[in-house]
Amino acid sequence: MTEFLAQHTPTLTHWLYLSTLLFSIGLYGLLTRRNAVGILMAVELMLNSAALNFVVFNRFCAPATVDGQIMAIFVIAAAAAEVVVGMAIFVALYRYRGTVDVNAMDTMKD
Amino acid sequence: MIASASYTVIFYLLAALAVLLSLAVVNAWKLLRAAIALMGVLSMSAGLYVMLDASFLAGVQVLVYVGGIVVLIVFAVMLTRSAELLQDNPAPLRKILGAIASLAFLAATVGVFRSSPFLLSAEKAPLRDNTTLIGEKLLDYGAGGYVLPFEIISLLLLIAIIGGIVVARKTEPQGQPFTTGGDEAGEAEFRPPFTQEEHEDELELVEK
Amino acid sequence: MDQLNLGFALRNAWLIPAIPFCSFAIVGLFIAPMSKKLAGIVATASVFATAALAYAIAWEYFTLFPAGAAHPAIIPFSFEWLRYQPGLSVTAGIYVDPISVLLMVVVTTVSALVHLYSNGYMHGDEGFGRFFTYLNLFTFSMLGLVVAPNIVQMYVCWELVGVSSFLLIGFYYQKPSAVAASKKAFIVTRFADLGFLIGVLILGYQGYSSFPSLQGSIAPELVKYGVTNLQPIDFLYINHPLVLQSLLANGGTIMGVSLLTLAMVLVYSGAAGKSAMFPLHIWLPDAMEGPTPVSALIHAATMVVAGVYLVARLFPSFAASEQALLVVAYVGGFTSLLSAIIGITQDDIKRVLAFSTLSQLGYMMLALGVGTMAHPLGYTASMFHLFTHAFFKALLFLGAGAVIHAVHTNDIWEMGGLRKKMPITHITFLVATLAISGIPPLAGFFSKDEILAAALGNHFNVLFGVALFVAGVTAFYMFRIYFVTFWGPFRSHHPEHAHEAPFTMWFPLAILAVLSVIAGFFPMAEYVSIGEPLEHEGINWAIAGPAIGVAVFGIALAGFFYSGEAKRAATVAAAFGVLYRVVKQKFYVDELYIFVTKSVIFQFVARPIAWFDRHVVDGGVNLSGFVTRRSGANLRHLQTGQVQTYSVWYAGGALFILLVLWAAAMGR
Repeated sequence: MTEFLAQHTPTLTHWLYLSTLLFSIGLYGLLTRRNAVGILMAVELMLNSAALNFVVFNRFCAPATVDGQIMAIFVIAAAAAEVVVGMAIFVALYRYRGTVDVNAMDTMKD
Repeated sequence: MIASASYTVIFYLLAALAVLLSLAVVNAWKLLRAAIALMGVLSMSAGLYVMLDASFLAGVQVLVYVGGIVVLIVFAVMLTRSAELLQDNPAPLRKILGAIASLAFLAATVGVFRSSPFLLSAEKAPLRDNTTLIGEKLLDYGAGGYVLPFEIISLLLLIAIIGGIVVARKTEPQGQPFTTGGDEAGEAEFRPPFTQEEHEDELELVEK
Repeated sequence: MDQLNLGFALRNAWLIPAIPFCSFAIVGLFIAPMSKKLAGIVATASVFATAALAYAIAWEYFTLFPAGAAHPAIIPFSFEWLRYQPGLSVTAGIYVDPISVLLMVVVTTVSALVHLYSNGYMHGDEGFGRFFTYLNLFTFSMLGLVVAPNIVQMYVCWELVGVSSFLLIGFYYQKPSAVAASKKAFIVTRFADLGFLIGVLILGYQGYSSFPSLQGSIAPELVKYGVTNLQPIDFLYINHPLVLQSLLANGGTIMGVSLLTLAMVLVYSGAAGKSAMFPLHIWLPDAMEGPTPVSALIHAATMVVAGVYLVARLFPSFAASEQALLVVAYVGGFTSLLSAIIGITQDDIKRVLAFSTLSQLGYMMLALGVGTMAHPLGYTASMFHLFTHAFFKALLFLGAGAVIHAVHTNDIWEMGGLRKKMPITHITFLVATLAISGIPPLAGFFSKDEILAAALGNHFNVLFGVALFVAGVTAFYMFRIYFVTFWGPFRSHHPEHAHEAPFTMWFPLAILAVLSVIAGFFPMAEYVSIGEPLEHEGINWAIAGPAIGVAVFGIALAGFFYSGEAKRAATVAAAFGVLYRVVKQKFYVDELYIFVTKSVIFQFVARPIAWFDRHVVDGGVNLSGFVTRRSGANLRHLQTGQVQTYSVWYAGGALFILLVLWAAAMGR
């Protein structure tokens, strides 16, 4: 058992499957959520999985460098900025419209 | 041997938790629960970062993401009363469509991964603490240095902060951006610009 | 003989159409909106300059080829205008031969005088600047037509004069009758021009077919006259005996009519439309709705003779086909007779003059028709009559315009007694009336005499009789309006306030009166002839005697009926009863046209086509519109306005592309 486990340490592909899975789940949330805050959370999931991808490739393809990790830091920073602005927009939106239901936000078709 | 085995076990454990929690993030009816689940996903990710020899990043993840962003989201949920206002339950059709789209994405990406050769590196991670390396890289202005993106991202954050303040500040509604007129601030009932009947009338007029 | 030694005017002959055109553009675009007075001055000055140039050209041309000698056509200026393919292009240029010189002189003279006259006549009119712009446009187009070296340039200018005529007839566009008249003129002449166009196409095609074989034998002899780039549509080519022979030999026949005859009759239909020959004459009397100077310039002196000019220009081709020339002769004679008779009964002074114009145009056509290449006196006579007629008919119209200007009515029965009120107008009008009646020694006598001599000389006895009779009738109806207008009592309150015309108006009258007196002494036969130069004949008193006789008889009859109170005329008119009414209604030709168009063409041709258009053509258009609208209305629902829906589609599309790329990568 232990031997089996030791021989099946996760390879690059497994890590990639994991991040892809997370990304797909985020995509699903992005497409289905009705609440704008929920959508934002789905986006966070996707960003997180992308950052994970960076780190995975860094670890497996160029372990002597840290560029992937730095990219992940940038992703986190961008996500933070995004959340700040997004939240501000939602708060303003809520004040004007009384809702953050994206189904109600269809003025684009007019 | 034991280390490798436990590595494997921990990976699958963390991965399974992350997947389950993220499913909860996208499916939870109550947004507050979703936020908590997101916090969990991000924490699991921090653990995964540790397993990838990126302990500094793990710290950043916990500090910024879990401690900052998720808290902000929770604030937003509270502020917009989304949690109570809205039982977020999407239409079944949309769920199906979304599921198809994301599964197809998953399948396509997995297919690409399976068929693509990756240039794996045989070397192990350097013994040197990569936190130091990250610090040096971030402030390095030579070739391969990240001082410029670093400055730009700091500027971005500054702009985001100011923008957030400006957007969220309570102002007297003048030209209301999302309505065609009449809706006062905080008015609960959203009135669409045209009702469906009006649309039909208009269409008939055009046909005449 | 080497290259001709051209004088200054001939070398710069291109200015003849260019000056009026520039003036038209400048006056129309810049001056007319700014200052009406200046517009009149500039327009008039430009036409006077053109007239001076035309005289210089005439002088130089007849110095180059003196009187009595042969007068070959020269082309002092030309350029390639449209190139269809090597060996077929359309040139534009200046064609100088006796008749084009003649027409240049006539057109510029009358046009200049009419411009001058209009400065007075149109004074204070709202559209003063517009009027002069149109007049300049007309002058340009008419001169372009006159100097056209090929049939395409002539056709283009032909339509341009049609347009300017349309614009000027409809000048008072607030008046429904003027609008109707302008439309009528345009439609009738356009209809006739359809025949012209087909004729042009036949001639052009035949010319093009024979061009390669004949070019070599024709082109070299013309080079010395300035023809460097001979084309199959040039008059010099079409009229060449070799070409006509080849056309007669190879053209074949269509329904028993030779192709040449067919082409010439079709061309003649265009000429008949422009020159208002029966049965296309109906537009000319109505065209009198335009301002009187326009009637004088366009509908008496110049544009309407374009048809005569066209026939004269293609005279060798017409002469090669005898039937075509017979058509010309008999249609001309019939028109002449018919409109002279109608002229007796009309009460509108301008309409009488219009019918008189028709009658005289018929005379010119008749004269052309009785000519042959062997005995071409008719050709000369026709051009001579065109020349003299331009002066006295313009004078008549301008005189009538002066009268109308003074009394503000067109009806001769509301005038009367004007000879004391308007002495200059009276004298000049009398001169013109005597001239048109053919009283020696005024201009009309000589040209009419020549026409009669030409008809009798080629043994057209019936046409001679008709022409003689028409001469008498002409004298009668012209003196009828003369007596009714200028003699007798005031027939209404209008003439009481009449006054003499201002200088700008009576001065052209005086000039034209002088010209009407002396033009007849011009030895036309020595200058304008075709084929072998004519030996100058004196007056043949055997012909001139009866002509003077019928003219005097007509005048006496008119004096008997119409001098004084003119009570006898009414009695006679009543005695004729139905006949009189038929004539007065112009033989009901207009009504016949309306019957044919409304009851036959509209009913049986236009209505089915309209139905087809409304239901099938429009239906198709509406159907496509309906389908578009319906599908749009249905597809509208795809546009939910929700970003998420869009992103689902976006994800689907991106995936699809990804799969395609992947499949492609796998396949490779």
